[in-house]
Amino acid sequence: MKSGLVLSKSMLSENPIAMLFLGLCPALAVSVRVIDALWMSVGVILVLVLSGLAMALLSRHGEVDRGSAAAGLLRALVITSFLTASFEAGLLSLAPTASAALGIYAPLIAVNCLVLGRGMPGVTSPSLGSSVAAALGRGIGFAASLVLIALVREALGAGTITLFPVGGFGGTIEIPLLVEQPVRALGFAGGGLLCLGYLAAAARVISGRAAAKSAGKEAA
Amino acid sequence: MPDVEDRAGPAAFSLMPAPHLSVGMSTSRMTWLVSLCLLPAAGWGVFLFGTPALIVLVVSVCAAVLAELAATLPFRRFTLPDGSAVLTGFIVGLLMPAGVPAFVPAAASAFAILVVKQTFGGLGRNWMNPAMGGVVFALLSWPGLMSQWITPRGGSAQAAVMPPLGALRAALGAPGVKDATPLAVLSRAGFTFSDIDSQVVGWINSHVLAPLGTALAPGTFDVLVGHVAGGIGTVSAPFLLLGAWFLLSRGVIRWHLPVCYAGTFSLLAAIFGGLGTGQGWFAGGPGFHLLSGSLVLGAFYAAPDPVTSPLTNRGKCIFGVGLGILTFLLRFFGSLGDGVAASIVLGNCASPLLDRWTSRRATEDVREGAA
Amino acid sequence: MSWVGIILSFALVDNVILSRLLGVCPEVCAPGGMRTAAGVGGFMAVLMAGSAVGGWAVDSQVLVPLGFTLLRTPAFVFLVAGLAFALRALSARFLPSLLLVTGVSIPEIGINCAALGLVLITTRAEYTAAESLVAGLAAGAGYFLVTALMTAIRERLEVEPVPRALRGFPLQLITAGLMAYAFMAFDRAFLSRVLGG
Repeated sequence: MKSGLVLSKSMLSENPIAMLFLGLCPALAVSVRVIDALWMSVGVILVLVLSGLAMALLSRHGEVDRGSAAAGLLRALVITSFLTASFEAGLLSLAPTASAALGIYAPLIAVNCLVLGRGMPGVTSPSLGSSVAAALGRGIGFAASLVLIALVREALGAGTITLFPVGGFGGTIEIPLLVEQPVRALGFAGGGLLCLGYLAAAARVISGRAAAKSAGKEAA
Repeated sequence: MPDVEDRAGPAAFSLMPAPHLSVGMSTSRMTWLVSLCLLPAAGWGVFLFGTPALIVLVVSVCAAVLAELAATLPFRRFTLPDGSAVLTGFIVGLLMPAGVPAFVPAAASAFAILVVKQTFGGLGRNWMNPAMGGVVFALLSWPGLMSQWITPRGGSAQAAVMPPLGALRAALGAPGVKDATPLAVLSRAGFTFSDIDSQVVGWINSHVLAPLGTALAPGTFDVLVGHVAGGIGTVSAPFLLLGAWFLLSRGVIRWHLPVCYAGTFSLLAAIFGGLGTGQGWFAGGPGFHLLSGSLVLGAFYAAPDPVTSPLTNRGKCIFGVGLGILTFLLRFFGSLGDGVAASIVLGNCASPLLDRWTSRRATEDVREGAA
Repeated sequence: MSWVGIILSFALVDNVILSRLLGVCPEVCAPGGMRTAAGVGGFMAVLMAGSAVGGWAVDSQVLVPLGFTLLRTPAFVFLVAGLAFALRALSARFLPSLLLVTGVSIPEIGINCAALGLVLITTRAEYTAAESLVAGLAAGAGYFLVTALMTAIRERLEVEPVPRALRGFPLQLITAGLMAYAFMAFDRAFLSRVLGG
């Protein structure tokens, strides 16, 4: 039940991208095609969860350095940057086109996950389970927003939806009218910024309504 | 009713007087007047390009109105009487090529109203000129469609393919075309003008100018009157200037911005315009460039939008000079249309900063103290 | 690319914020006046230039010769973070007014995408040390340009009643988006014509 609550929170009211504005660089740059967004999400979730796990393990078995923020930061940097490097290496060998598509934003996962990891309960509380759950929640919330933006930008901006090629399916869905005359402006940098801005506003409206509803429920 | 003074935060702190409406006209009356002054140009455009032009204009105005209603009615505001939605749609439509499919002006108008204007709170609160933002959006999204020109009535067949500006760019790439004004370049490259043009120009040359030893280049009449392919409202410089003169005389717009803009641009075009294309110094053909494309519309109708241009006269002059420089750079070296819409939106980015510099410095200290 | 080309490219055509979309976060587009923007911009310029040069040094002198290219990410992350902390310490010592003005922003900057992103760009393009330095400074200039413009716009917007859901950072994003469209007028074609023609 608790993990369900964590998940729903990070999907909406504490969504990393739309509400907390964490990890925006990939949200803007890697949301031009759905498949790039999917790969980025995979990387972010992997690094988040594994680093959350590592940090929880470390704080369990080692001394918890409360006094030194710098040491904590250093530790986090070491973990996330090496995890990211591993993900990059793996991606390069397994899916080189995806690696090329992600470009400089794959290494940037290291600083993004660090930013994303802020304020997560898992970092301070020693429970392994809740660390992993929190990290997973953040990652899935991030992925949801990222893929949503990518869907809008690709469908309207290019008239296609690019997914993983599976079997006979080439991977690209074409939308009949849009693919001939797409709204190209959405595929550019400005389009990403605009979509993100409106997504953030929409998230505020929706979570505001959800909060009002649940408050109403409790009152009733 | 929103007033000009409402819109500017800095003005609230600044020691300089807000630009009071010395003509005693309300903002909405001024806006409707601007739309009125655009009607002759629109009429000429419809006359030249026919029903498609009319459709484009109607669609863009309707789209703007619908977008405005969609953004304001749910909040129980009715803003159509202030005339700004209609004006925005009108300007967007006038900048479109007549042959463009209807969804382009519709999307551009909707973008202009919804994203550039209403997102920031509506009239007086946006920082980017809505119509120009919409046009840039269309230029970026559908570059090919934004070049679907139509032959003007009675124009030469070549005029259908591209407007003189585009043809000039193409012609200048050809070897051996040197040392000539833009019109001469076009003639030598084989660009043909209309029969009316050859008649009028021929008459003037033989009866008036021959004794004086000079001659008008073929095409002068066409370009002057706007008998060429181009945006629906942008070809008709004489009609636009007529409307602009009326607006200036009534004080609806002030001369500082348009004059600085057009002046700087002409100067730069005259001096440097010929350089990049091997024509040499002082061979840019400022007259041609002033009349081609949307410069007149931009300088007299779009850029002086009081919401998105600086408050003080000094700010307006600097803004105008900046726009002139930008339009020169973007027209001669850039690729986004004819450079006017792109320059104006870039200038809008800097307009609040210009306001900071040209309003009293007291503003800055007040704000830093508060922050 | 020529020096002018590099400068124009990193400052305008592929602007760090508006084109490459690095460094877009609330702390950096933070509330603060023009002095804060100037302070942050200067800090970022130095950080980016230093990181770029440092990145060149680490990459070309250490990583590539030893074949440790897979270690690029950790190496650069530490380079940028280390430089940011060093710069912060230096400014605390010699320019305390800078820290006072920019306040909260500086620690976040060390982890910000912008400097790290720049290092990745310059090393992948295999710039020389001098080119990296110029690229870093130009990127910092472009960064400052955008934050200055946005600060002025934001100060004007703050006084206006904006729809509630959009207030604050969402509106900043939309403003940046419109600005990004405007800056697209400076594209590669423009650059090549200005340089070549």
